[in-house]
Amino acid sequence: MQVFLAQVINGLSVGSIYVLLVTGFNLLLLVAMIIHFAYPQVVVFSMYITWLVLRLTGNNILLGAAAGIAASVLINLLSAPLFQKVMAKRGEVDINATMVMSMGIGMIITDVLSHTFNKGFPIAFPEALAGRRPLARLGLISIQTGQVWSLAVGIIAVSAFFLLLYKTRTGRAFRAIAEDPNGAGLVGIPLLSTGLQSYALSGILGGLIAVLLAMLLGSASPGLGEQVAHKVLAVSIIAGLGNLAGGLVVGLLLGILEAIVQGYISGSWSNAIAFVIMLVVILAKPKGLFGTRV
Amino acid sequence: MRKICSVLLLVLLAAGSAFAQPQVEVKEWTVPFLNCLTGPIAAIGEYLEWGAERAAFEINAAGGIKGKPVKVVGVDTAMDPQKGSVEMAKLVENTLVALGPVPEPVIMAAMPIAVENGMMSFTATTSYEYAVKYFPWTVSWFPPTELRLGVLVAAWAKQFSDIKTVIQFVEPYGPWPGMADAHVKGLTGMGVKVLDKVEVPSDAVTFGPLAVKALDAKPDGIVFVCNAEKIAKIIKELKSRGWTKMDHLLVFSSGDAPELYSTGGKDVDGIQVYNYINPFVDNPRWNAFKAAFEKDHNGMAPFSLSPNYYDALYMIKEAIEKTGVTGDPKKLKEERKKIADYCANVKGFKGIQFNWDMKDGVPTNKPTYIFTIENGAKTLTKEVR
Amino acid sequence: MPLPLYYFLSITAVNVLMSWALYLPYRVTNLHFIVVANMAISGYTAAYMVMNLHIPFGVALLAGFLLGGLIGYVVSLFIGDAPTFAVVIVGFTFIYITRTVIENMKVIGGTLGLFGLPSIGGSPAVHRWIIIAILYGLVLLVGFLIHRFDHSRLGRAASAVFVDKELAASLGVDIKKLGMLVQTFSCTLAGGCGVLYGFIYRSFHLDFFTFHLVGIYMTTIFVGGYTTLWGALILTPILYGVPLLFPSAIQAWRIVIYGAVLILVLVLKPEGFITRRRVASIETFLSRIRKKRNIQ
Repeated sequence: MQVFLAQVINGLSVGSIYVLLVTGFNLLLLVAMIIHFAYPQVVVFSMYITWLVLRLTGNNILLGAAAGIAASVLINLLSAPLFQKVMAKRGEVDINATMVMSMGIGMIITDVLSHTFNKGFPIAFPEALAGRRPLARLGLISIQTGQVWSLAVGIIAVSAFFLLLYKTRTGRAFRAIAEDPNGAGLVGIPLLSTGLQSYALSGILGGLIAVLLAMLLGSASPGLGEQVAHKVLAVSIIAGLGNLAGGLVVGLLLGILEAIVQGYISGSWSNAIAFVIMLVVILAKPKGLFGTRV
Repeated sequence: MRKICSVLLLVLLAAGSAFAQPQVEVKEWTVPFLNCLTGPIAAIGEYLEWGAERAAFEINAAGGIKGKPVKVVGVDTAMDPQKGSVEMAKLVENTLVALGPVPEPVIMAAMPIAVENGMMSFTATTSYEYAVKYFPWTVSWFPPTELRLGVLVAAWAKQFSDIKTVIQFVEPYGPWPGMADAHVKGLTGMGVKVLDKVEVPSDAVTFGPLAVKALDAKPDGIVFVCNAEKIAKIIKELKSRGWTKMDHLLVFSSGDAPELYSTGGKDVDGIQVYNYINPFVDNPRWNAFKAAFEKDHNGMAPFSLSPNYYDALYMIKEAIEKTGVTGDPKKLKEERKKIADYCANVKGFKGIQFNWDMKDGVPTNKPTYIFTIENGAKTLTKEVR
Repeated sequence: MPLPLYYFLSITAVNVLMSWALYLPYRVTNLHFIVVANMAISGYTAAYMVMNLHIPFGVALLAGFLLGGLIGYVVSLFIGDAPTFAVVIVGFTFIYITRTVIENMKVIGGTLGLFGLPSIGGSPAVHRWIIIAILYGLVLLVGFLIHRFDHSRLGRAASAVFVDKELAASLGVDIKKLGMLVQTFSCTLAGGCGVLYGFIYRSFHLDFFTFHLVGIYMTTIFVGGYTTLWGALILTPILYGVPLLFPSAIQAWRIVIYGAVLILVLVLKPEGFITRRRVASIETFLSRIRKKRNIQ
């Protein structure tokens, strides 16, 4: 029983990574109608900036976090006009154009990271951020600070963005611009500033995710973004594109599934089994388990 | 159909002109090194290149090879088999001998070209199981995995009388599963029970589930056969769940990489590592190599595979000098064979750390070492022959 | 033929064929990444047949095509008319499953790989000519077939599906059958390419078939142009060959350059360099020249 509980907690930890990334991914989908396949790479880039600033400032966590957030916002704002340009059809998600565009961005980020930071070797975050001792331990069950924060922030972020997007005027403005910019302009929504705000918001979330992942994983490598990108896309599709709550549930379930398969069956089969299950789900419910929101 | 043919023809003509290779008279010994200078393991590629260039520097300072300077030319394969094959194809036309390729997927794509054209290329960082497929046009830098590793891991386990069961973390990459199997043979030979291995997915980012699975089996010792960064993270997970016997953790040679130390930090203190290079050897060549590496890499100790291509270039030098190779392009085929034959059975080759013999392309008397990590650095625990 | 030219030409041909294998399903908006898995499955199967069962290469190649086609057909029964996302997930799933199965099968080399495939025709030189002949024969044949498809009712139906699936269905286009056709063809092609790819190198390794290949083929289609087959044909040798000629300092940044080119093309020319309009204007230009010659 202890082992099973330990694996479920591990699963929630893995799942919280997916939840955080899928939430950012879904947010961009909802506010800008783009499938940002390389969102995990943007987050990893922010992790690297955080690491760099931590090194330069003698492990000043606040400055490091601020730098990570700023990096994520900057990349989002810089890529915003590119995404807007490629979107041929409004009111409909153009998976192909935006996905391919984001693949190009991802290629650039991954290659720049492998050339320029730490000679391409993985980076390790200081103990002040990543922590060494578990928060609580009982036999094989171990709970780290980063795990608690990631899960908590993941749930809070999903709730907060849900409320923002569906219960506030600002959120409605974001969604209006995403779905129909001409119509949004006609009803008096300032397109440029609101559009930029929406990209900046997802950038802020990306920066926060970077800090949380630094706490949870303790290290990062140039290929980290690519390693999780397929799963993030898959979780979003299985849950239902743009479905924040669905992303939370499916992300956590996927994490638990992976942990159980790795713990009880085989590590090398965990991806294959996870994807087969996702495949069955998507064939049975092509719009996702919880329905799309775009 | 006509349009397709004409477009195709234009493309072929353009491509053909791009690959025309003029003959050049030899004024220096040019040794191309097919290496990963860009891509995921570019940093390791740089360390390997550094070793070869250090050897070239020393050789040239001492008068070169038969009075002519030697130049190592890095040829980037970017870990891409498609690129590696084209680069090797370019080399085999005029090159006397080459270094690399690195790593295994590029070896598999490019070495058959070298073999077909009778050109030797030193694959000095891959296991015997890969190198043997391309004999006699390469040599193995390591003895057969099965012979070598069983003894080594047994020597580790022998230190601790309380090790009765061992579990391995194994990542499915290249020769690593074979190395894990060799560990099993060595351990079972001395009566240690090897529990079912824990497979480490190549794209795993967290390792809690794997650590729990391993600890649930209640092993006395653990052997790691996976990527260095993953090893460091797994060790952290093990420690966070109560593992305390750090010297009962053994890391295999490929895991002894900078990421183990940078990611592991203090958490890897006390673990044991096996490798083929002993940083504590005291001889003028090694001391100079070490000092130069540290100077060029911000004080970092030499990467364990850096000396391999250093030694490879010296072996080429010796082969050229001892077999009367002239570098005359007209004698390319026979001189390539001379180098290959010499290296396959060289006796008493003076490596940077120890002398060794080759028998039919396989080294016969190379030592291996077990180290313990203390304060982020290795200390020698024992030598195993 | 100089060796570097052989490798350049053979790999270019594979890349052209595989880009077409992605191009065709994309005509009906399917991103059919399963083709990479098909390459691996058929490739390893054919290699096993040749090395262990001593079956002639030609038969093994045919088996590779058929196996690819069979997998494509069976899968298309389920995803022939599925949304784009489902097709993407299917592709990822097959790539993961294929890799895991191959890793765990020692009989085909496992993680070590499969070495020493024999030369076809008894000698390396004959082997190379045979491979080149087959590959470029395939390029001509497949190019011809795709060209005919594009200029047929089926091609027009595919264009309608690309623009508006529902409207196309309401006009009588059988989306599922069309999807099944293009997916099966694409998988058949990929299966054969996988066999040939391995026989170019005369070895197989898992890392010959990774998500990286998906990136290469996607880049080719989107930069070359996803509305005609010419884009892949013309851009592939350029995208693959030009970087080989760069000085090493620039080669180091090759991937960044690819990514930047991809983004620029998507922003400035969303349909890619070679569009239908461009092809049509070249055809018009050529026919004017022919008319002038005829008059003279």
